[in-house]
Amino acid sequence: MKAVIRAVEYYLPEAPLSTRQLATEFPEWSVEKIDQQTGISLRHIAAPEECASDLAVAAAEKLFASGVARPSEVDYLLLCTQSPDYWLPTTACLLQDRLGLSQRTGALDFNLGSSGYVYGLGLAQGLIESGQARCVLLLTADTYSKFIHPADKSTRTIFGDAASATLLTGVEEAAPHLGPFVYGTDGSGAPNLIVPAGGARHARTPDSAVPHTDASGNVRSRDNLFMDGAEIFSFVLRVVPAAVGELLAESGRTPEDIDLYVFHQANRYILEHLRKRLKIPAEKFVLKISECGNTGSSSIPMALAHAAQQGQLRPGNLAMLVGFGPGYSWGATLVRWGPL
Amino acid sequence: MKKRNEFLCLLDELFELPPGSLTGQEALADLEGWGSMAVVSFMALADEHYGVALPPRQFGNCVTVNDLLALIGDKLPA
Repeated sequence: MKAVIRAVEYYLPEAPLSTRQLATEFPEWSVEKIDQQTGISLRHIAAPEECASDLAVAAAEKLFASGVARPSEVDYLLLCTQSPDYWLPTTACLLQDRLGLSQRTGALDFNLGSSGYVYGLGLAQGLIESGQARCVLLLTADTYSKFIHPADKSTRTIFGDAASATLLTGVEEAAPHLGPFVYGTDGSGAPNLIVPAGGARHARTPDSAVPHTDASGNVRSRDNLFMDGAEIFSFVLRVVPAAVGELLAESGRTPEDIDLYVFHQANRYILEHLRKRLKIPAEKFVLKISECGNTGSSSIPMALAHAAQQGQLRPGNLAMLVGFGPGYSWGATLVRWGPL
Repeated sequence: MKKRNEFLCLLDELFELPPGSLTGQEALADLEGWGSMAVVSFMALADEHYGVALPPRQFGNCVTVNDLLALIGDKLPA
């Protein structure tokens, strides 16, 4: 039994946040400057009462509406989120109920950012190929916007909210459709991409909510998302080329064997730098960020779905997925894209 | 690999100055474009042209453009 991706769908919340709007709020930054740095002209922002789980439901319902499977066929639900509904219970359990899945479904959340989709594929493959599950629904969903201070241009210009839904089942074939997998973790990088307060280590207090202005004029409190752009850039340059090399070596492939490179869509600047550094031709490199921003663990599945819709990713193609994000955490894998 | 004066021209571009503006003696604090984004851009240039990985913390000690060039060290031909 080999795990295979059967469908990928995604959902973007309705409220738009355009670069034009941001340029009016941050007058020292022009639309051109924001676009030059990020490559993002539009982000989608969840409504105040809209949770990541609501976005996940919408993505899953889109997937079921496509007819690829009935909810009752799912026997395992994985939700990658850093914006759960509650500390407990598990948001995936709530989704089992909301999506009308069988009570014989396994369900769990796992907390990863932009590396999460690669890890989710690895978990799904393990569940299917070990015989524990037949039909895995892998969801990614986040509302980073709710962690972001409105006067923090370093994060407000970058992040958008979204969710994705991927269905995986097993096929009786000799060759795997997913893998190998390369994983990596460097916890010393934790302080560089973090929401400091609100967890067990530092509870939210009136003091943690006090906003401060940093040397670049950005405002945030310890309840808000903090990202050190330079440290993240350094991390990405250090681990991504190495992970790509490791994956190629482990799979016995050359760069030319790869039909499409799908990296986490962090921002256009970092993606273009990686593309040139790795000498990847532009037509083999997915850039899908301008209309949605950095959506965390949803960025890779959204880029996959978009590439498939556009014909950039065709059945039989070999795609390389590379995710990297808070933790620090990273992962890379190969996907043999099948007819969906 | 780009020589020092060629690299200075890249820095002119980074700071949105006419080519040939920078001599190296300029104080970073006086350059309008200096900030966190310029740090990232400089790290990208060092990576692209010299294969040098610059830890962001080192930038805190830089006062002048020459200090930035010194981060690249002996990989930067004269």
